[in-house]
Amino acid sequence: MSTGAGVVPAQAYDRRRHVLDLDDFSAEEIGEILETSVSMKEVLGRAIKQVPTLRGKTIVNLFFEDSTRTRISFELAGKALSANVVNFTARGSSVEKGESLIDTVRTLQALGADMLVMRHSESGAPYLVAQHFHGSVINAGDGRHAHPTQALLDLFTVYQRLGRIEGLKVVIVGDILHSRVARSNLWGFTRMGAQVVLCAPQTLIGPESFWKATWPELTISSNLDESLTGADVVMALRLQKERMEGGLLPSLREYSRFFALTAERVALAGPQCLVMHPGPMNEGVEIMPDVATSAQSVIEEQVANGVAVRMALLYRLAGE
Amino acid sequence: MRYFIKNGSIIDPARRVATIGNVLVEDGKVVQVVDLADLALAFEPLDDRTEVINARGAVIAPGFLDLHAHLREPGGEQKETIETATKAAAAGGFTTLCAMPDTTPPVDCAAVARQIREIARRRGVVRVEPVGAITIGREGKTLTEMAELVEAGCVAFSDEGNAVADAAVMRNALAYSAMLDVPLMAHCEDVRLTRGWAMHEGAVSTRLGLPGSPAAAEEVMIARDIALAEITGAHLHICHVSTAGGVALIRAARARGVHVTAEVTPHHLTLTDRWVLGWLEMHQPADVRPARRGSRDRYDAGETGLGLPAWLKPALLPPYHSSTRVSPPLRTEEDVEALIEGLRDGTIDAIATDHAPQTLVEKECEYRLAAPGISGFETALGLALTLVHRGKLDLVDLVARLTEGPAGVLGRAPATLRPGSPADIVVFDPDSPWIVDPAKFLSKGRNTPLAGQQLKGQVMLTMCRGQIIFRRGNFGVGTGALQQASRLDGFLGADNEE
Repeated sequence: MSTGAGVVPAQAYDRRRHVLDLDDFSAEEIGEILETSVSMKEVLGRAIKQVPTLRGKTIVNLFFEDSTRTRISFELAGKALSANVVNFTARGSSVEKGESLIDTVRTLQALGADMLVMRHSESGAPYLVAQHFHGSVINAGDGRHAHPTQALLDLFTVYQRLGRIEGLKVVIVGDILHSRVARSNLWGFTRMGAQVVLCAPQTLIGPESFWKATWPELTISSNLDESLTGADVVMALRLQKERMEGGLLPSLREYSRFFALTAERVALAGPQCLVMHPGPMNEGVEIMPDVATSAQSVIEEQVANGVAVRMALLYRLAGE
Repeated sequence: MRYFIKNGSIIDPARRVATIGNVLVEDGKVVQVVDLADLALAFEPLDDRTEVINARGAVIAPGFLDLHAHLREPGGEQKETIETATKAAAAGGFTTLCAMPDTTPPVDCAAVARQIREIARRRGVVRVEPVGAITIGREGKTLTEMAELVEAGCVAFSDEGNAVADAAVMRNALAYSAMLDVPLMAHCEDVRLTRGWAMHEGAVSTRLGLPGSPAAAEEVMIARDIALAEITGAHLHICHVSTAGGVALIRAARARGVHVTAEVTPHHLTLTDRWVLGWLEMHQPADVRPARRGSRDRYDAGETGLGLPAWLKPALLPPYHSSTRVSPPLRTEEDVEALIEGLRDGTIDAIATDHAPQTLVEKECEYRLAAPGISGFETALGLALTLVHRGKLDLVDLVARLTEGPAGVLGRAPATLRPGSPADIVVFDPDSPWIVDPAKFLSKGRNTPLAGQQLKGQVMLTMCRGQIIFRRGNFGVGTGALQQASRLDGFLGADNEE
């Protein structure tokens, strides 16, 4: 039976054990990770892209949801640190399979896993796993809740390009309601002192007061053109086609007309504004192909930086 | 056997009595109630066949009536049986339970109702009164044979767990039940607004990324059912009202004479959606928002900002702890305040537990997939008493909402300690502190968000039909005040597990 002892506030430890969300990261800790990421990026630029930091450690990539870039990124990060990386891909939920999530985790523990990198369709699942796993748990995306490593790599990308995060105006546009990327970026950017604007029709974000209660500094808007004025960063989120079937939008066409990143819209923000997307993109829906490949776009850099940032995080958890 | 319960504070809402006195019980009936002011009658009938129970410092009240309990038998015996449920109920001070019909098979025909009564007669320790289903299979389509169900002992109708989605079916159910003079207990939820829900829709669900069940889903259904009760003249009873809007609708309907009654659970009166945050509730790095939501110190100072008494600490739970998942979901502090006000002013007639035992397997999984429900019998009084300790409700009103109020919903005379009435009696200590330890529950359901929490007040002795069916430690034996052993009982649970 669980005692809950595995999940305690990070402050209770001298060092961090789990990465479940960005909400328990201080600005100082995020800053340290960004600094370490610079060194890791340097490692990845070498002829031999490997350091022995995690030699002998076993990292299990526990993916209950399909993923390409996050899983490969974690795998490369683990291997660059010389860890043994095992991929576990389970289609559908563990409940449908008949084995409970807790049993799966106990099994992996018995097999000797030191770290679990997990993606799950249910918000909060990593908290449950952390109560039953003796090693470290890294959330690689849970439901609508959090995707902390994506937010860290977004922060790192912005930091590398613009040299600072404090005081920037960051516009996130799209399906905020169902987006774990939006929530983690909200924690990350607000904690680092950026001004965040969320932009979506109310069906894709919900009542403003629900957000302001947790993030009072936040701005919420349904007018993208207005929001883009003076923006330093604009991030488009993937629009899941299922949202249409749920009746949340009248049509993709209408969504695209008012909320897609087009060259004209990005011009409103100015030539210095970075264009970001966590991927995978629906080109022509939330972002136009010419914007995605423009000089302002850092979308490929985000992917490349992901490996370095995840290395920095694994390094930190290893406590070296 | 005769029992002489002496020196307790007698609270008998039906007779508007609250006094220090003695109660004499014989042959399953209350024989005599003596006010200590009346010294001439304050004799102790000492003889071999009389047990003297010293209740000094404790309250003596009529046994509690729970309008809303899930006993799970038949069909869900792995969660609870009528035997374990009634024993747990006795430990919570309840002497009568209304058993909800969401069993397998459901109580949609007289045979099942009779079976439940038969099992309860053989193995139950308290009175069990079945509630019949409104529709066959609780599917919201065809009305059950209501008149026959009433003949078989059903005291109300409900499709509990499911709302009757089709307004025409609900109208017919109300109209038909009107001739039977029993309440129709409505679970008010528009399921199209709650599809895929995990918790209350609000700031917390937004932060945690959990799909929400909006307050409006309950309110639109309460509004619909009130309108239907109005045109049929039937008695509508709103189950487990949880929203401020719902309370307002019920208050307005009662004011214009609609026959609507309502109940509220102890957890909706005390806990909020912030319990789903667990320790995230109080854990915020100082560099973001210093002390906005409070630190440990503020908890200890009694300011939780949660509408909670200082001694209840959601931070004992990990975030997303499935014990906090319940239907309807835990709402906000504003809702809690409105529910308390509704209970105080009589808009809400009764406190009902919605005791919903679940197995560990159904709870130890991803939050949204966990079966909703709280095992409520054994914490009901302690949780409800937090309102008294905070000065929100007086003790006599609290007892009334557990006895007279629910009796009124069922259209019967309130339980009382009047001589000649059945000896269904609860003796409870309103101040005794204890730590909730689910491992010690008599219920099979260990699902509670209150594990490790301190509550003040617990049942010491329960009597049904003149028989002692629950006794904590050796309460009442000897001449001392409350037995020290019984007070320690709760503290020993400090090493509980959850």
